[in-house]
Amino acid sequence: MSSGPTLEKRHMGMTAANRLSNTVIYIILIVMSIIWLAPFVFIVMQSFRVESTWMTGYVMPQKWGFDNYIALGKTDFWHWYTNTFIIALFTAALQTVIVLCMSYTLSRFRFKMRQPLMKFMLILGLFPGMLTMIILYRVLKDLGMTQDNAVPGLILVYIASSGMGYYVSKGFFDTVPKALDEAARIDGATRAQVLWKIILPMAKPIVIYTILTAFMGPWGDFVFARYISMNSTAGMNVAVGLQSWLTLDQINSRYTMFCAGGVIVAIPVTILFMCLQRYYVEGVTGGAVKG
Amino acid sequence: MASVKLTNVVKIYDNNVTAVHDFNLDIKDKEFVVFVGPSGCGKSTTLRMIAGLEEISGGTVEIDGEVVNDLQPKDRNIAMVFQNYALYPHMTVYDNIAFSLRLQKMPEDEIYEKVTQAAEILGITEYLMRKPRALSGGQRQRVAIGRAMVRNSKVFLMDEPLSNLDAKLRNQMRAEIILLRQRLDTTFIYVTHDQTEAMTLGDRIVIMKDGYIMQVGTPEEVFDRPDNLFVAEFIGAPKMNIMKTKLVEEGGEFYVTPFGSKIKVDGEKGRLLKEKGVKPGEVLLGVRPEHMVLADAADAGAISAKVEVNEMMGSELHLHVFTEDGTRLIVRIPTIGLTHEQRESLVNGHELKVSFEGKVMHFFDPETEKNLLYGE
Repeated sequence: MSSGPTLEKRHMGMTAANRLSNTVIYIILIVMSIIWLAPFVFIVMQSFRVESTWMTGYVMPQKWGFDNYIALGKTDFWHWYTNTFIIALFTAALQTVIVLCMSYTLSRFRFKMRQPLMKFMLILGLFPGMLTMIILYRVLKDLGMTQDNAVPGLILVYIASSGMGYYVSKGFFDTVPKALDEAARIDGATRAQVLWKIILPMAKPIVIYTILTAFMGPWGDFVFARYISMNSTAGMNVAVGLQSWLTLDQINSRYTMFCAGGVIVAIPVTILFMCLQRYYVEGVTGGAVKG
Repeated sequence: MASVKLTNVVKIYDNNVTAVHDFNLDIKDKEFVVFVGPSGCGKSTTLRMIAGLEEISGGTVEIDGEVVNDLQPKDRNIAMVFQNYALYPHMTVYDNIAFSLRLQKMPEDEIYEKVTQAAEILGITEYLMRKPRALSGGQRQRVAIGRAMVRNSKVFLMDEPLSNLDAKLRNQMRAEIILLRQRLDTTFIYVTHDQTEAMTLGDRIVIMKDGYIMQVGTPEEVFDRPDNLFVAEFIGAPKMNIMKTKLVEEGGEFYVTPFGSKIKVDGEKGRLLKEKGVKPGEVLLGVRPEHMVLADAADAGAISAKVEVNEMMGSELHLHVFTEDGTRLIVRIPTIGLTHEQRESLVNGHELKVSFEGKVMHFFDPETEKNLLYGE
């Protein structure tokens, strides 16, 4: 009984300290979110502005409307958008398959060149991808996959080295007990069936992560897309296309359309993240083997 | 149902460690064979080579007369139960058991029949719709056994299936495995490091050490006639007492003289010593703790010792005693034959005398550690 008040006091003290540190943390977080969100708010506002297509000294539009969005239809925007979507979709699909197969192979098979291969890829990964630009352009040009035909060329570029992105998923596969593979193989499964029926259902968060990163890369890419499409409007992706509006002669008439385009670009990615984020937190390996 | 034959099987790992040396074994159809040995003896590796989970570096493995060296596990028609259960965590118990049947493209109604039947036998019917994580260790192991059961495979492999269970559950599951064996009536190969499991389950026991087979035999054979010192010490708990002693011959009779005592080797063992032409001299004498008896204090021929530890096991006492030269021996005494006073007196430091008869003695060569009476 005698320790009651002291405990209570201490408890009160801790609450006060907690409250203070929470306040500080919240202030920092609020400031950070303002810094992060400001550009988005700015772009969204601009995209709805009707009274002027050029930059203004204020943020809130004086006249609201969808004019800029409607005007996009009269440009190449939706063509670029489709290009980007096709590229990102194919890249996401192919890269995910390649990465998962690669990770499973490196995690489960023991072959002679396994270690050297992994070291080689690690070193190769240290070089910036930009270094390959000139030779890639040369090769793709010879294959007829530049400028107007940049879409297949870009898909090739994006998936070409995707096997090297095996680290995260291999790390996850390594944590899945090998006994599960063995049990499944004895149950009559082939290696491929083990991967598709046993490992991947347990690895949902990693699969989602792989798809997301594989989609995001080409979706927002500018450098390669610009280089491979080489001023051909038909071969541009949305980032390159939108950027082409920011030249001195066009920026006056298209600045707010540029903002509207930017907002539309952000929509699918936002939806994708909102749909898939719950898988990030899901844990699924409980009860497989004795811990 | 199939025979399994291993001929000169060798396993060498990439780092040049030889895990299994020249393993030869003929397992008959419907036989229950247990591989037993300390960890790292190669028993699991051998089992995994039979299963196809481990490459065979040399020799051949035959199942039902067919060499399976290059067959994938799925093509060997085997079932296996793993030590850590290896249940598929994202599937229900039902799906876990049905997995192999679905891969065989068996119709769903047949699968249903088989799974429910297996579940009933194993007493896990009420858990069929649960995920493995919601089961206890014993239930999980039943599911693992169920998964292996429904396959009607030629050979049933078990890799330390009871090691993760607590002692009480282990005893219960051991009995269930015996029942399962009677029901399935197929060939079993069972790996364990527990000699009790080996003795109670096996038709034949293969005792391994450092990748070599030390002895293959029925539980009686390996217990009564161990080929070598390793088998003698490994089989039986507590382990056999080994005493370095001299074998002397007097008037046509053999005597052993451990710790200044003098005990006659009478009966069959004495006769065998003569038959085998064993020369008097240094030998390793082995006597199991349960074969040692407390001798009369006046018995001049018995071994004098002092009690160090007294373990009361209920039906018997395990007395850890040490002799005059400090050698430790274990003596197992049934409590039923002891008076209350005797039981009370066997405390730390109590002096006593132990003895044993000729028929319980085992003789080993101090150099080769081979049994002097049995073996070639």
